[in-house]
Amino acid sequence: MKLINIKAKKLSAGEADRLIDRYYEGLTTNEEEDKLRQFLSQPNLPDKYAAEQAIFGYMASQKQQTHSVVFSSVLKWAVGAAAMFALVIGVGIAYHSATLNDYAYINGKKITNIQLVKKQAFLSMNNLNSGTNAVEESLKNVTADNNQEQLIKKQLAVFQNQ
Amino acid sequence: MKLFTKSRFLLIVCLIGLSVVGHAQDGLQIKNVFERYGKQKGSTMVELTDGSLGAFQFSLFKSLVIENNNEATDFVRQCLSSDEKGAKKVKQVVSNGVVTSEYLQLQQKNGIYRLILFNDLTRPNEKVTLIYIETKNNSDEILKYILKKK
Repeated sequence: MKLINIKAKKLSAGEADRLIDRYYEGLTTNEEEDKLRQFLSQPNLPDKYAAEQAIFGYMASQKQQTHSVVFSSVLKWAVGAAAMFALVIGVGIAYHSATLNDYAYINGKKITNIQLVKKQAFLSMNNLNSGTNAVEESLKNVTADNNQEQLIKKQLAVFQNQ
Repeated sequence: MKLFTKSRFLLIVCLIGLSVVGHAQDGLQIKNVFERYGKQKGSTMVELTDGSLGAFQFSLFKSLVIENNNEATDFVRQCLSSDEKGAKKVKQVVSNGVVTSEYLQLQQKNGIYRLILFNDLTRPNEKVTLIYIETKNNSDEILKYILKKK
């Protein structure tokens, strides 16, 4: 079988006719069919190629459909990737907003400066031990009273010795 | 499809995690104190999440200091008397029949230790302090730290 190097040169009408015959016989290679498709896609071709143009035109549209199927598959992946991206961003925002939970309200005014917020937290903890002062003061008074009592006893003891 | 299932699964896990962390305070009456008086004039409210203060770690720290507000003080006491049911009283100071200081160790919820700390200072000004702490560590450490702190 004689092969024609169709890549090297443009397809002439005669060669195209021969390829068309080979096409109908089912003998064309993919390369030859591509060349034929290119030839048939030219404008202003004689009417005798109308049938072949229709066939190859149909096949071209089929190929476009295949492209669109591939595209829709790519689109699905893109949507999936976008969903994952959105999820990651969402989790990031949730984490960020969690850190934004560090705040203080002083007289109704919101503060988010972490140093100031922590300072207020420490101040509030310091308040906790303030109440014990009352108990300690009472205990001190009791101790003071005991000292005074002992002092009075000592002073009275001086008179008793006399 | 697998991708969407994974995303959905992750989303559900995140939501469950957030719900577990966010609701340990639910069911406590003191939550109403923070909501009612936290943003008012004369109040100082603090909220910190997942951090440390001094030597102790916490997952949630909330404090509220209210000055010169007898109505708020009464409301805090009312809420405390409700929340102290089933809780361990670590410290309680009663002066003239009124609780002036109280540390409560609440029952664990979702593996989280919870503390309520209350103090009512009358001098030089009327000042009520309410603190709520959630921690994953043993709350005894926090109590030791606070009781030692002077």
